[in-house]
Amino acid sequence: MSALLSMRGLTRRFGGIAAVDGVDLDLAPGIITALVGPNGAGKTTLFNLITGHLAPDAGTVALAGHAIGRRAPHHIARLGIARSFQDLRLFARMSVRDNVLCATEPASWFWQPGGKAARQARAERALAATGLAALARADAADLAYAERKFLSLARIIATGARIWLLDEPASGLDPASRARFSALLRDAVADGVTICLIEHNLDIVIELADRIVFLDQGRKLAEGDPATILADPLLAAIYFGERA
Amino acid sequence: MIAYLLNLAQLAAIFGLLSVSLNILIGYGGIFSVAHAVFFGLGAYAGAHVALDLAPDILLAALAAALTAGVLSALLALPALRVRGEYFVIASLGLQMLATTVFTEASDITGGLGGLVGIPPPTVFGVSLADPLAFLLVCLGFLALALAVVRLLMRASFGRALMALRDSESAAEALGKNVPLLKTLAVLLGGAFAGVAGALFAFQEAFVNVESFTLDQSVLIMAMVIIGGAGTLAGPLLGTVLLLALPAALTFIPGLPPTDIGAVQQLIYGLAMTVLMIFRPAGLAGRLAGRR
Repeated sequence: MSALLSMRGLTRRFGGIAAVDGVDLDLAPGIITALVGPNGAGKTTLFNLITGHLAPDAGTVALAGHAIGRRAPHHIARLGIARSFQDLRLFARMSVRDNVLCATEPASWFWQPGGKAARQARAERALAATGLAALARADAADLAYAERKFLSLARIIATGARIWLLDEPASGLDPASRARFSALLRDAVADGVTICLIEHNLDIVIELADRIVFLDQGRKLAEGDPATILADPLLAAIYFGERA
Repeated sequence: MIAYLLNLAQLAAIFGLLSVSLNILIGYGGIFSVAHAVFFGLGAYAGAHVALDLAPDILLAALAAALTAGVLSALLALPALRVRGEYFVIASLGLQMLATTVFTEASDITGGLGGLVGIPPPTVFGVSLADPLAFLLVCLGFLALALAVVRLLMRASFGRALMALRDSESAAEALGKNVPLLKTLAVLLGGAFAGVAGALFAFQEAFVNVESFTLDQSVLIMAMVIIGGAGTLAGPLLGTVLLLALPAALTFIPGLPPTDIGAVQQLIYGLAMTVLMIFRPAGLAGRLAGRR
């Protein structure tokens, strides 16, 4: 199956440190790919390079064969690539509904393309799917931790994007919330969404990922199905900080 | 006494418009500008020139002031908007210092330190607004218009996008918001309303000079917004009335020598700001923290 999103030789340095070092990566459509690796492996930097929040020093990013590297983040978002952040970055002083509505309104002008009713319906569907409909009028700052996580996901659902980049989306969730969260991701994939997630919790990775890419010190060390990657003793040693 | 109160009410309406305009930047856009008196001044000079050189029509003067201040504010702010947060504060401070110098030195346009004098009383559709009550009503009309526009925009997608970038620029970008464009539009809108306030101020004083457009004035406008409650509709108005009424109220305290009023006023400002930041950091009309 041809890749929906392809990276070739993607590199980003901060001074003398290569945070991402010549990474080649293909995200196949309609599956969940997990980026795994120890802290500082370059996972979030890779997301930042894909979404335009950072410019690469070298390498290319292509969406369905078209180069999208070096475009502004809002351009890339409008191409259908949505992302979440490790620290969520909710619009804290806005209501839950406005957070989600905002995700349905891509234009920055005084009016929006498409119908208002359709956008509102999409926002309401995202709120209902994530169980936030009853909290729609609350300020995002007043939500509990798990609700904030679901709001972050609701915003992504509401964008209608076909590629989701999720940075530790389920970390810190209780088992029941995590199961609900996983079910939402599976539903999205069943609808044809392509997901790439960064996750430290290997239980979540095993539960969700169709494919794993292992990064360390900015480089891709391995790629394959979860059973193979997680059974590799060398990768396990690196992941748990046990290498010599 | 009536004339004094009418004069105070006119100033409250004009500064209310000014603080509402700054609230678009600070309260909704999270753009902390300490150069708002510059846009106020640009509008005042533009309005004064329309009145002196063309006709004292208040609508024409307000339009010229809005266009001059709006367009110039957006152009001047474009390079500064490339930086974030505290860096923009410094950039706007530089703009304020630069503009004060230009207002002082460009005497052909601004009249220099002597300013522009003899601005005739305003008219609207040929009807004189020399009566203070009539002028007050027009000022209140402009204020109501600004409030209506802000309320409308902030409940629409533009307002949501602006508030989104206030709360997290990177998350707003990740949802497709063009942050530089949004900031430029916010500055243009805020600058245009500040310009209208400037034109009204020129008519109200019948005189404009650089002393009304200094850093002190910018800080006062910012204090009005923050004390009242940035990001709320009523907050800037509340802050404006409080900060304008305080010096006026002090003059009525028996036994307080007029020479000491300034010092007492500064003491009250300092104390009030400290107490407010501890107990109501979001301002008098702002939300209370930790509701849930």
